Amino acid sequence: MNKTSILALVVVPILLGSCIKAEQENTECDIETVSLHLDTPSDFFYHDYDTIQTVISTDTDIVFTVRSYASVQRIPTTLRVTVGATVYVVAEDETITPFLNGSLVDYSNDKVQRFLVVSENKVWSRRYCISVVHDVASEGNLSMNFENYYLDPSGKYYIWEAPEVFTDGTWKNGNPGFKISKSSAKPLDYPSTPVVGGGPDGSDCLKLETCDTGPFGRIAKMLIASGSMFNGVFDVSNALKDALKATQFGTPFTHKPVLMRVWLRYEPGASFQDREGNKVEGVIDEPDAYVVMYRNEDAEGNKVQLDGNDVLSSPYIVGLGRLPHHYNEDGSDKLSNDPIHGVTNEWQEVTIPVEYRAELDADELADKGYSLIISFASSWGGAYFKGAIGSKLLIDNAQLFCE
Amino acid sequence: MKRIIYLTISLLFIALSVQAQEENSFEKWGPTTGLKGGGFIARVGYVIGGTTPLPLPAEVRKINGFSPRGGISLGIDGYKMFTKRWGVSAGAHFFWEGFHTEADVKNYYVWLEQEGEITKGYFTGTNITNTEMWGVTLPLLATFRMSPRWNVSAGPYLSLYFHQTFGGEVYDNEDGVGYLREDSPVGSKILMTRENPTTYPDDFPEKMQPVALGIEIAFDWKAMKHLNVFGLLDWGMTDIWDRNFEAITFKMYPIYATLGVAYRY
Repeated sequence: MNKTSILALVVVPILLGSCIKAEQENTECDIETVSLHLDTPSDFFYHDYDTIQTVISTDTDIVFTVRSYASVQRIPTTLRVTVGATVYVVAEDETITPFLNGSLVDYSNDKVQRFLVVSENKVWSRRYCISVVHDVASEGNLSMNFENYYLDPSGKYYIWEAPEVFTDGTWKNGNPGFKISKSSAKPLDYPSTPVVGGGPDGSDCLKLETCDTGPFGRIAKMLIASGSMFNGVFDVSNALKDALKATQFGTPFTHKPVLMRVWLRYEPGASFQDREGNKVEGVIDEPDAYVVMYRNEDAEGNKVQLDGNDVLSSPYIVGLGRLPHHYNEDGSDKLSNDPIHGVTNEWQEVTIPVEYRAELDADELADKGYSLIISFASSWGGAYFKGAIGSKLLIDNAQLFCE
Repeated sequence: MKRIIYLTISLLFIALSVQAQEENSFEKWGPTTGLKGGGFIARVGYVIGGTTPLPLPAEVRKINGFSPRGGISLGIDGYKMFTKRWGVSAGAHFFWEGFHTEADVKNYYVWLEQEGEITKGYFTGTNITNTEMWGVTLPLLATFRMSPRWNVSAGPYLSLYFHQTFGGEVYDNEDGVGYLREDSPVGSKILMTRENPTTYPDDFPEKMQPVALGIEIAFDWKAMKHLNVFGLLDWGMTDIWDRNFEAITFKMYPIYATLGVAYRY
């Protein structure tokens, strides 16, 4: 490096550095984690790790699920919030009083406690609800018809309810991620959309379509978005940083599924592309549909949550059923022009049996030690941004049968 | 900014004190003949500086790195002295200049539009900027001879850019903090990392003004009969961005200094 460069390195930062203004107060006002303090957590929760919840940035409704027999009264609660933010409890008459961490909060009788978090600069605020609900025993067999849907608060995309099916009551998909890349998209332009009267029986059905993510998708090197639908968590925070981590699969389930029956219709898009967007000749896109049961706690009592990285390869998986597909000898995905999934552009009922590699522990099963995943996608390689734009998977009347 | 003013003033004082001790006559170091007259100065210099908002917005928390890009200036000035001390000069300085910076920012508003799609929000983390500019600066300066060997010139200039680049990326800072709050500080939090940085759209250069106006201050020291050592500062007074460019909410000004030698005829 020559002398002038060295001079520049010294002088310019000093000149600029001397002009740096005082730091402004924080503008954010998030609850980042919520912890409930209990002397004997196992009397309340299925897992000790359930006493603390990490709140994703889009969530404002925090629900703790406790055992059906747990006696819920006032529980010391600690909120971790954005640095500098102030927390208030909002009473029924909308009056607010400052909240001190560790104070007792009354969650009895399914009370929903409301909190207001105000940013350090006092300009921004967010409202949160925290509640503790009793678990309702599941009957086992699930019936899912994708007919309860509504627009999200921004009015941009659809959300599907499944209150009797999953503990948190909704299906998840990549729509919140698609919203970031394609702000102009209308609700029916998203990868996961309802089709009114489109089902085999004339009822509403679900359509998953692999979509072009547009200019911002290209910037982020995520050229396509496969339509998706699964149970678990979609953490949009990770959509750019680590897309595979954004899809967190599975919710606790207390029965042993043996097979899924689902009505499907599939039309592959015209041109299959790889992650870089290059056309791959001689490959036809394929749909994906699978059921997974996995152990949701490791030997140390830590939470196990499968994500896009290991949803089909984790050692915690005990049962798996998936649409037929060609695989390489090492088990990896094999692209082909000769799909064997058997799903055509006519509605048909497909049966996906679940195969177990280990026996389920009955006590653990009853104690929510296993999680169930039900997942659909319009492109088999969608998690890795491989697929054909325009591939469409229509889904209706899925049924999960348990032992 | 204050430091630059102090620097200029102190240089002026040094020059004036030198004058007091200066034995050589104005004529000896004057234009080619006598006290009046004119000639040419061919300059070659190293350019260094940056394109920066002034003052730095509070969103900029720390400058972690800076390095110049390009840095060559070739110019020719014609000058004419009217009196012992006063004259004018005009010229053309061809330049290739630019820089790279790495800055920590907090709540930095970004508004990006690409093919009708809009992403906007507040970014906290590391912001990398790279820019390079090729062009010509046309100064029109009044010259004052502070001493036989020291000249100071000042006046307006017009820069014409032949080619500009402006790119960069955003990702997490050294503490691992890097995210966009979509739309507002209470919007979705989108994490960003250096493993998967988000780059500026490639159409930023199209949103740059092709011309700039500013003020030039030049100091010339006559080292030898035909050789000058010089330092000059081009301080841009016009925003580099088109008026309707919304991706960057503050005005940015090119401020570049040139140090070099010149042949005086």
